[in-house]
Amino acid sequence: MSDTWLMTNLRAVKGRAYPRIIGASREPSWIFFEVALPLLTVAAYAYIYKFMEAPAAFVGFVILGGAMTAFWLNVLWGMASQLYWEKETGNLQLYLMAPISRMSLLAGMAVGGLMGTTMRAAATMIIGICVFSITLDLSEPLMLFAVFMATMIALYGMGMMFASLYLLLGREAWHMSNLMTEPIYLASGFYFPVKALGAYAAVGASVIPITLGLDALRQLFYPSSREAYGFLPIEIELLVLVGLCGLFLVLSKISLDYMEKLGKSTGRLTLRWQ
Amino acid sequence: MQPAVETKALTRVFHPKKKKEGKSVTALAGVDLRIEQGELFGLLGPNGAGKTTLLKILSTLLLPTTGKAYVAGYDVATQFHAVRKRINMVSGGEISGYGLLTVKENLWMFTQFYGMKSQVALKRIDEMLEQFGLADKKNEKVRALSTGQRQKMNVIRGFVTDPEIIFLDEPTLGLDVNASRTIREFIVDWVKKRNDRTVLLTTHYMAEADQLCGRIAIIDDGRILACDTPENLKKMVKTSTMLKLDTTHLGNKQGLSSIKGVEKFTFTDNPESNMTSLRFVLEDEVAVSDIVSAVIAGGAKILGLRKTEPTLEDVFIKLVGKGFE
Amino acid sequence: MAVMDDLKTFKNSAWLGWQMEANWTDPFLFATYSIVKPIAGTLILVFMYLVITSGETETAFFSYMYVGNAFYMFVAEVLFGVTWVIHDDREHFMTLKQVYIAPIKFYVYVFGRAAIKIAIVSIGVLVTLAFGVFVLGVQVGAGGVDIPLFVLSLLLGLSMLLVMGLAMGGLTFLTAKHEGGINEGVAGVFYVLSGVIFPITVLPHWVQGVSMTLPVTYWMEAIRRGLMPDAMAEIARGTGLEHLTNLELMGALLLSAAAFLLLSVSVFKYADRVARRKGRIDWTSAY
Repeated sequence: MSDTWLMTNLRAVKGRAYPRIIGASREPSWIFFEVALPLLTVAAYAYIYKFMEAPAAFVGFVILGGAMTAFWLNVLWGMASQLYWEKETGNLQLYLMAPISRMSLLAGMAVGGLMGTTMRAAATMIIGICVFSITLDLSEPLMLFAVFMATMIALYGMGMMFASLYLLLGREAWHMSNLMTEPIYLASGFYFPVKALGAYAAVGASVIPITLGLDALRQLFYPSSREAYGFLPIEIELLVLVGLCGLFLVLSKISLDYMEKLGKSTGRLTLRWQ
Repeated sequence: MQPAVETKALTRVFHPKKKKEGKSVTALAGVDLRIEQGELFGLLGPNGAGKTTLLKILSTLLLPTTGKAYVAGYDVATQFHAVRKRINMVSGGEISGYGLLTVKENLWMFTQFYGMKSQVALKRIDEMLEQFGLADKKNEKVRALSTGQRQKMNVIRGFVTDPEIIFLDEPTLGLDVNASRTIREFIVDWVKKRNDRTVLLTTHYMAEADQLCGRIAIIDDGRILACDTPENLKKMVKTSTMLKLDTTHLGNKQGLSSIKGVEKFTFTDNPESNMTSLRFVLEDEVAVSDIVSAVIAGGAKILGLRKTEPTLEDVFIKLVGKGFE
Repeated sequence: MAVMDDLKTFKNSAWLGWQMEANWTDPFLFATYSIVKPIAGTLILVFMYLVITSGETETAFFSYMYVGNAFYMFVAEVLFGVTWVIHDDREHFMTLKQVYIAPIKFYVYVFGRAAIKIAIVSIGVLVTLAFGVFVLGVQVGAGGVDIPLFVLSLLLGLSMLLVMGLAMGGLTFLTAKHEGGINEGVAGVFYVLSGVIFPITVLPHWVQGVSMTLPVTYWMEAIRRGLMPDAMAEIARGTGLEHLTNLELMGALLLSAAAFLLLSVSVFKYADRVARRKGRIDWTSAY
């Protein structure tokens, strides 16, 4: 039965992703919820910009921000706080007993949720572009890809770090996730250029990968908006994002190990209904 | 030979998060235990005795407060990776898994966390489903299973990875006779097949422990009270006489424990049938007549009287002075 | 007697709702949570506005947007609160079946749980309004508050939301764990179509027709007219409902609320029947 450490953990990723993927195919109602309905909030913000006679690029900013919320929500609710549900249903202790890395478990959750997430993001972009007649500049596809990937890796790394809280806490962590949703939308400039928050706030918010990721993507999709609304040059933002990738992946490992140990010491690792 | 499980002065204290939530609880108080490879070892004790806490420590879900615990020679606190490769656990009343997946899919998913190749895993799953009479349920969604079927699935989940040591925490809890029997027979068979397989079974069904286990430890209030084979444990009470009386409702039972010759005494009142069951451990059979007189003087009628062979519960009563709940 | 029983059910489930909402942390953290969350949500809009208008918040439109967004919290949280009760009890604590088979009216139980949500959200709305008035110059009460209009519309609106939430809850019986999408979706429909943060005149003409069928559209208008009658009169290009008098507005609100009441009750009853037929009262669907 014994496998190499890498193969075992890759199988673990596959194993944990499986229920997500199969579950999604067996309960297809999510397609409607994930595709059509999130667009409504985005549409509201797009219309308000139209009402305020904002530059056309702002509608594009909103569509892009709306698309990226899919990934943020997947990190927050599909991965990090999922451990809370696993704890409550008794799965967590079975996972923790298994000879796998906790990051493999979380990666499996993230990978499994990616289908729905990607569909949500893509639908928001495509429908938003069609309904609001948005034009995007695609002249730097490599840079777009690099920024997107760096943002995703750093974001999911950060999510793994949050997930570690759930090894120790219960509802408190769930409510913290709930609390974080809107402030992150605000601080990261999901629906407006983060530059509007002021330099210091924007720098502080840059620790959240999606802040710089969004800003860089906006600058790439709307090159004409760089000077007025871009926070930092794209190259610098990409560099910071790559740094955040490494940082969050390391921090998440440390945090997961520490929180697990703390949970085991205090007896709260598998304690339900905290 | 290295033991499968060894604990040395193992202690676990739980502290409340806030003062108003109560005092600290000592779940384990200096447990010394040694389980050899190939044993089917039982841990018997009432609710709250510390059985699950011990299992959680051994399965690396909980750290001890003080003391040491080793599984397959590895320290559970510091070498937990090595421990996890060699163990698995099944609990009674488990609700783990995903209702949306089929039985086979759930089982396969868990095998992936132990590095099993899918082909090997699926073959073994099929074999075990057949063994447990669940072959026709393999494509059913888990949420459609009955309690017994679900627990059988849980047991398969625990054994399918072929662990060296398996922890079974009340695996037949709440199951009917047939389901319980199937699981017990499987456990016995599994241990017999290879001498490097070890089972640590916790239960508060004394008959189950008596039937299955080569050795039993009796635990209460976090302490091991005795540890030996079932026969040797029963010999602890063999010099005493066990007496069981069934009477109509007996209100005043106070004087019964002070009758000369009565070593220990417990009772159970059944309000529905208006009956009382009295159980005595007697030093001297002479006490029987005094007991009968006291019961009659108390206004109750004797419906049945018999001397019984000592059971593990009698051992427990002798050691602790109370029965199992 | 039945009324007393219902009141008792309502009281007990409200108590339970409070425990579920509040006992996960200490009071300070809970208070922080209850204040920070609504304000952060509101500030998103504030910054969106500031980026375009360069800082002028003492305008009629800003007040329109701000007040609408503040009261929209009731819409989102009540709808979410009711559906969450079903989801939480069914999948998390697995107590739904016990509550369901108890000799109580299940919808009264749900209302009790949701009532606490309303109470908590009210604090958030109050804090948000206070922040807007004192920090951002929102024109609430500037020209006097039409108290009868405001109170009546608030009560009617909250009752309407409760009943709509019940319908959402019924649908939750039938859908899997991602039922969060239901309330998000329905709340999102109201957000776009009901003049919450922009007048419905921005929308395409045919969409405005849909807006006019939604009770939340009239509710938003009535709340604003009650709290800031002068500012409402100043909205350039109109709100789409300026041709209605207050009486007509309340009448439209009442009519559309009544229609939604009938629809919601029907949806709930239907979903309840189907859920029982398909054995979904106690199913689990997490993955």
